[in-house]
Amino acid sequence: MFFNNWFKINDKKYLDAISTAGVIGLHMVSATVVGLGMGWYLDRWLGTKPWLTGVFLILGIVAGFKNVWLDSRRLLKAQDKEDAEKFGPKD
Amino acid sequence: MAGGLPHPVLWSTLLHVDQVTIGGATVEFKHVFYTWCAMAVLFSLGLLVRGGLKLVPGGIQNVFEVVIGGLEDFVVTNIGEDGRKVFPLLGGIFLFILFQNLLGLIPGCDAPTANVNTNAAMAVFVFLYYNYQGIKRWGPGYIKHFMGPMWWLTPLMLPLELISHTARPLSLTLRLFGNIRGEEIVMVLFFLMAPIVGTIPVYFLFLLGKVLQSFIFFMLTMIYLKGAFEHAH
Repeated sequence: MFFNNWFKINDKKYLDAISTAGVIGLHMVSATVVGLGMGWYLDRWLGTKPWLTGVFLILGIVAGFKNVWLDSRRLLKAQDKEDAEKFGPKD
Repeated sequence: MAGGLPHPVLWSTLLHVDQVTIGGATVEFKHVFYTWCAMAVLFSLGLLVRGGLKLVPGGIQNVFEVVIGGLEDFVVTNIGEDGRKVFPLLGGIFLFILFQNLLGLIPGCDAPTANVNTNAAMAVFVFLYYNYQGIKRWGPGYIKHFMGPMWWLTPLMLPLELISHTARPLSLTLRLFGNIRGEEIVMVLFFLMAPIVGTIPVYFLFLLGKVLQSFIFFMLTMIYLKGAFEHAH
């Protein structure tokens, strides 16, 4: 029984879905952190504390949300494809 | 291993290669040693399979054909025919990370991916490689990938895309590092609580976790390459 489940998880379709769901969280955080870091270094370089940090932090958050949106669209597309295989094409 | 925790006896300690001195500077060498171990295993398996290639596969050749054939199908359905050109790299990344991760489950060995330097090197290489493929395919027009769907959105989209592309190697590195390092720490804790008996159940869980992490790295590399190959928006 255990090995049946194991092989099911080894199926590429399931692995793909699990992986896409698993990467969403970190994609959002890492874009935010990179935006903050870029703004901080630009501020130190150009001497414009604290303006660029704020601007780039907001840009980073927006980029993070964009990443999440793209990932969830990918998940939904895979789901639609599976449904179309099972129930026929959606009208 | 984990800071402050006692760690089991490692082969690298017995061979005195935990730290080496290069040009007067003492550097950490354990993860390099175990990376070489993973490479040695992969090279010898590859040579073994190549030496005994048969038309009707059996034994180890069968396993390799199933794994590599399945991955190639997966890549080609996702990227298209371009995928065949970059498949050697993608398959290599999957197998390399898989063997590196699984080394952590062998007594006396440590996973090289539990050190952030190994992962950073691979993530930076992936970043450079997909940008190189994009520039090779599109030439100067590759910049269109960074400019968003409409021309008047360019001032907004350019910094956004730059940030999200720079975040890619960071998230690749941290995900693999965090998962594998965490698994190593949990394994030591379980071993401290109930030696042998406590570690056997988590072995199966971590076997799944390690396969999943190497698949995630492979899949993300494939998605990035796909983004570089396809027409901008």
